[in-house]
Amino acid sequence: MRHLLRRLLLPGLLLLATTACSELKLFGAFFSGSIDQLGRDVRPVANKPTQPRRPEARLAALWVGHATALLQLDDKFVLTDPVFTDTVGTLSKRFVEPGIDVENLPRLDAVLVSHLHFDHLSLGSLDLLEGKYSQLVLPQGGLVYVPSSPVEPVELATWESVELDGLRITATPVEHVGFRYGGDASWMTQSFTGYVIEYAGLTVYFGGDTARSDWMFHATGRRFPRIDLALLPIAPIHPRDFMCHTHVDPAEALDLFRDLGARYMMAVHYDTFFNSLDEFGEAPRTLRALLPARGLTENDVAILEPGGQRVFIGRP
Amino acid sequence: MNLELAAPAYALEASTVESSLEASPLEASTVDQQAPTPSRPPLDRHPRLRLSWLVLQAIPSPGIAVGDRGAHGSLSWQVTPLLYSWALDPRLSRFRTFVVEPLVRQAGSIELFVSPEWVGRGLDWTNLGFRAGARAYFPITERGDGLSWSLGASLAWFDDAQSPSLDVGIYTLFGGLGLLASATPWFADGWAQLSLRVRYF
Repeated sequence: MRHLLRRLLLPGLLLLATTACSELKLFGAFFSGSIDQLGRDVRPVANKPTQPRRPEARLAALWVGHATALLQLDDKFVLTDPVFTDTVGTLSKRFVEPGIDVENLPRLDAVLVSHLHFDHLSLGSLDLLEGKYSQLVLPQGGLVYVPSSPVEPVELATWESVELDGLRITATPVEHVGFRYGGDASWMTQSFTGYVIEYAGLTVYFGGDTARSDWMFHATGRRFPRIDLALLPIAPIHPRDFMCHTHVDPAEALDLFRDLGARYMMAVHYDTFFNSLDEFGEAPRTLRALLPARGLTENDVAILEPGGQRVFIGRP
Repeated sequence: MNLELAAPAYALEASTVESSLEASPLEASTVDQQAPTPSRPPLDRHPRLRLSWLVLQAIPSPGIAVGDRGAHGSLSWQVTPLLYSWALDPRLSRFRTFVVEPLVRQAGSIELFVSPEWVGRGLDWTNLGFRAGARAYFPITERGDGLSWSLGASLAWFDDAQSPSLDVGIYTLFGGLGLLASATPWFADGWAQLSLRVRYF
């Protein structure tokens, strides 16, 4: 027994030390990258839209940056994971300005928050939006991290829906994590979601942050068989063995697009904040390169610059 | 604004859910179960006391104490037996004991605290003491996650001396890092103290 313990002890200690070293190395890379970015200027966005309402559109989407997108479904406006602050989590600074100024946003019928990480639930951004939105929709258990809210937020568990003047929002399953600070990981186990937004025959899917799943996106596609547009994250990519548990890469995002059976896809969650070891521009470049092999074009998959807006379905 | 929780989509589409795919426990349960209660209250999960939390609480906050005999180093720890948050949504419990989420504290709360302290030049038991009192936290930016401040009052016990004490603090990084200045007028070895507050939950 003692012999066995002795034989296991050294490899065990080595494994522990190696794991600790690689985790520390990763943490160091993230930390030094964040600090480096803090000293850099934020890239301005030329020709920011000032009139995001598109009268000719039934369905339009404007990429503000990261997971923030302004959706127009006929006369309704929905904003996803709003982040307009210069930093998230105090230390992670923007690469690029938000694609629209807050004062130019239309009155929002709903603001959706997919989960509680700093780059998705930005309380400073919700403060900037105060008075501009009617309803705040959170994942189940998310309310604890939205104190002093000027509206009464609604929490949705998976497959639960809320109806807001004809706008129906349903929480859908995604593969991610629900904590905000790390130390809360043991009890914040359910606070992450995707959403399906339905209005007047239009259906939009918002994936928030997610890793791949063998069943979740098929299941969502079956429940919502006519998704017009899927907003899907395509990054962070690296380090892949770390990110793959919580984030899809561009190839996996295209798998999700296929599983959902959506008509159009719009890529989100890239090139906005320092949150990975990806090269700037790597995620959209990879996505573009993958399209032909999947029989897709940029007409099917929108890859926008911050402030870019696409009309997916026009008025007849 | 008409706001109503609607029946979940799967209640209407359960018949379409059969699939050759292997369903996960979540999918299987949501298909088989009744619709979630439309008027259910928000999920109210309380922090759990874990070994990692206990270990992190052992990390002291270093500081400087200025007294009649000059300036000394100091170390302090903090325990929160009870906290009440006035910023939390009223549908949730506003009380916490010991383990407190950073935002719950920094967004607006009042806590009862006990703070063991060491002040002095050597490992002398006469330099060990503690203070107990109440401290309120107020948000400045990002509802307290970005920047917040505090105001506290306590009684301090060091060796045979007792003294009332007042403190004011400012915090960033979700309350994880802060500066706390305190005045303890009847404590000869540390009537003024400034400490770098290090705290995680």
